[in-house]
Amino acid sequence: MLTFGACLAVLLAALVLMYRATDGGSAFTTETLRRSEVARAPIAVPDFSVIDAGGNAQSLRTLLAQSGDRAWIVDFVYTRCQTVCLALGTTFQRLQATIVEQGLQDRVGLLSISFDPLQDGPPALTDYAKRMGMQPGVWRLVSLAHEADRRRLLERFGIMVVPAPLGEFEHNAALHLIDPATRLVHIFDLGEPGAALQAALVVRDAHVALSDR
Amino acid sequence: MKNSLMAVAAATAASALALSLPPARALIEQSMVWHMLVQMPLLVTTGWLGAAAFTGRGGTGWHDARRLNRFGLTGFMLALGTMAYWMIPATIDRAVVLPTADLAKIGSLVIAGVALRQSFGVAPAAVQLFFAGSALPMMVWLGAYMAGTDRRLCNAYSLESQIAAGRGLVLLAMFLGLCWGLALWQRGSGSISNARF
Repeated sequence: MLTFGACLAVLLAALVLMYRATDGGSAFTTETLRRSEVARAPIAVPDFSVIDAGGNAQSLRTLLAQSGDRAWIVDFVYTRCQTVCLALGTTFQRLQATIVEQGLQDRVGLLSISFDPLQDGPPALTDYAKRMGMQPGVWRLVSLAHEADRRRLLERFGIMVVPAPLGEFEHNAALHLIDPATRLVHIFDLGEPGAALQAALVVRDAHVALSDR
Repeated sequence: MKNSLMAVAAATAASALALSLPPARALIEQSMVWHMLVQMPLLVTTGWLGAAAFTGRGGTGWHDARRLNRFGLTGFMLALGTMAYWMIPATIDRAVVLPTADLAKIGSLVIAGVALRQSFGVAPAAVQLFFAGSALPMMVWLGAYMAGTDRRLCNAYSLESQIAAGRGLVLLAMFLGLCWGLALWQRGSGSISNARF
């Protein structure tokens, strides 16, 4: 009888702990947890000083806000990357093509942020922008102005960068949707650029409709 | 005999703990194999050996504990729950990033080791089969999934590291299954009713 009670208590405790650790059994990886947390409660984008390929420094929030009411799809890269950022690059190239084709550039912008400020100075950024065929009005590329901000940026967005062989990094690559109020509102998988773009338009139009009223 | 057992337990504990502290911490931060297949088993082993070394010295304390653990059921349940919890990718990540989670991991896995030792001592073969039959396939399944998927499950580890750990987990489960089978054989079992109480 004692054993039966003890077993039940142990089982119950284990279930409760696992329920809590996995967001009610729905998220078994940190990545899904991060995504559902963001979807539930948007995160204000932290402010950092960023530099572009021209070497101009400005604040990240200013950059996001300056071009009017635009939603942004943001990814994190480092320009030497041969693996997952290449896939990100291709995804962003396709998104750029779609945006230009449908004339959506006033409503949605693309932004790539490098998390490798030591290597990715203006020359590396210029080179990467050229390789990717970035159109400045649609797709922006910046790097952190201060290396010290790197940790804070990655933590805020929930990006974990792991050193990989051959001097590469591995990181959780995704499409981050930022609304015109500069809040991170949703995270999409690399494989769903269409959904990310649709959501960006919805978020942007909703924001405009609300601020008009 | 008990003293040498104690010495081995202390050595196991020291190496398991060292892996959570710098400079050796870099190993479990960078490699899932070191984290999941070296440190975690070392922690469970520490509990197991510690319990083995202390058995018989605890007086009535162990006796009372046994009343809560008839047929080894509670201990198996505890060990199973603890193992399952630390096999969730999100909790593995957390143990890498958060010192408090790491501490919880260390404590709970050592306790799981104690529980396992106590339970295997008293459990009839049928109950052992229930435990091994859930724990080992769980490890094999997760290991095969980790090695076979191209999705990174832990943000803290590279895919390469995950694949290696997945294969290792399958091997570890097979090794443990073999050990269990041999132990059962040595106990002269084969008959389910041959239980020690």
